[in-house]
Amino acid sequence: MSGDMILYHGEPNGPSLAVLAVLAETGLDIECRWMDLAGGERHRLSGIGEPLARDMGVEGEGPVLVIDGEAMTESVFIAQFLDESGNGALQPQDAYGHWQMLMWCRRITERCAPAAAFLGCRAHAHAGLAAMEDAAFADLRGAIVSEDLASRWSAVRSGDFPEAQVADSKAKVAAAVGLVEEQLEDGRAWLMGPLTIADFETYCWLAGMVELVPDAFAGKARAAGWMARMRARPSVRGALARARRADPEHAWAPGPEINRWG
Amino acid sequence: MAEITLYHWEPNANSGKPMLALMEKGVPFTSHYIDMLQFDQHKPEYLAINRQGTIPAMTHGDRVLVESTAIMEYLDEAFAGPALMPAGARDRWRIRWWMKFMDQWLAPSFSMFGWKFFVGPNAIAAHGKDALEAAIGRIPLPERQVAWRKAVYGLFGEEEMAESARRIDVGIRMLEAELGKREWLASDQYSLADINGFNLAYAMPLSQPHLANDDLTPNIMRWLRAIYRRPATRECWKLGRTPMAARVDILEQDYIGQGAGA
Repeated sequence: MSGDMILYHGEPNGPSLAVLAVLAETGLDIECRWMDLAGGERHRLSGIGEPLARDMGVEGEGPVLVIDGEAMTESVFIAQFLDESGNGALQPQDAYGHWQMLMWCRRITERCAPAAAFLGCRAHAHAGLAAMEDAAFADLRGAIVSEDLASRWSAVRSGDFPEAQVADSKAKVAAAVGLVEEQLEDGRAWLMGPLTIADFETYCWLAGMVELVPDAFAGKARAAGWMARMRARPSVRGALARARRADPEHAWAPGPEINRWG
Repeated sequence: MAEITLYHWEPNANSGKPMLALMEKGVPFTSHYIDMLQFDQHKPEYLAINRQGTIPAMTHGDRVLVESTAIMEYLDEAFAGPALMPAGARDRWRIRWWMKFMDQWLAPSFSMFGWKFFVGPNAIAAHGKDALEAAIGRIPLPERQVAWRKAVYGLFGEEEMAESARRIDVGIRMLEAELGKREWLASDQYSLADINGFNLAYAMPLSQPHLANDDLTPNIMRWLRAIYRRPATRECWKLGRTPMAARVDILEQDYIGQGAGA
């Protein structure tokens, strides 16, 4: 590994949690700096000469790994980068197993993550943004390059959470938990068999949903056992220890958009 | 070695990605053309291969793989032949980032135009509304039913189309800037990102001549022509059966100005 590296992360929840935990699993020595995601600090980081991935990433308000001034985003891909820079233990080595892990991660990032971010912001980010002075919010929003991400911030501030999308988002979270439950049916401990990036990416989006969509987890004993195993891993505990608030699972900022094709 | 069969439509967008990757790797495969406008993808014989009814799908022995970008990664890892991913972890990250950006943010905007002006009208002309509605009702994935209805009945609203037009404009500018940094998209070697990008962008000088041409976007034009000249690309586009694939012929022209092809 070469070059100056800094991992900017938010409270250990969602994609910030996934990347912090994967970093700990790899044992790589990379400087980590907390940023105030909910305050829009991600868009005002200094020392970024190549901001494209920070500005236009699909994931929304996730962690940013900066190497030699280039911003790197998307938690799954940062996790792959860290794994491939370390000992490569968190990705299946055979092509088919790798395809299965990538497909799983896409299922989570494309369907579960937008739903979780929507519900998380509705429950925990709206009030704070709604209370901001107009000028302060205009400053925050003005620093955001992506127009569609900026409009998601405005929607959270104004409380634009249509009931149909709430119901759809809860169904998508429940579907993700259902997938986990089904995947563990053969008694395996981790989603792909061996522990992989898929476990971290899935856990990080679901951790904050236990409280918000309790029905999704009801009667899902295998999923609950897996959640407990994830929570007990030293890497996850270490990531959670970086929290600046007592309830990091309540820390949300606008995430990926809900699929425009319906 | 187990045999590969690829189920694909035109060399374009998602179908074209694994087609071109197979050609570049030099992996022999059985080509199985699925006529999307005849709803081949929802017929029982295809649903027996891919029960979701999406195109493309690939079988390798008794394995069934779906999702074009993930299939490409599988092909690159499972077969010898020219490497379509570089060795460096940071380059690999950048390729993954661009593919996700194109797959999830940019391509859906292009396809909104493609469906509204090509797929929808052609499907109605070929089948009539009643037969079409019955065919749509047989689509297994609910979100694909929604997409087909939107296309067929022209339900993409003005706001949605304007947002897609905005994204196409932004995306083309991003591609132009990125291709000004390196010979290829996202790394210094021809990679899966270029295959992905070509399938998205090859017809831009024809469909978006006001945005993509030799005066405004010289880097994109240089890149498209370089990919078009590759023997694998020539072979791949021969598998097209409709005027859609023939659009690639515009890259024969040495100079395309703002008014070309309109």
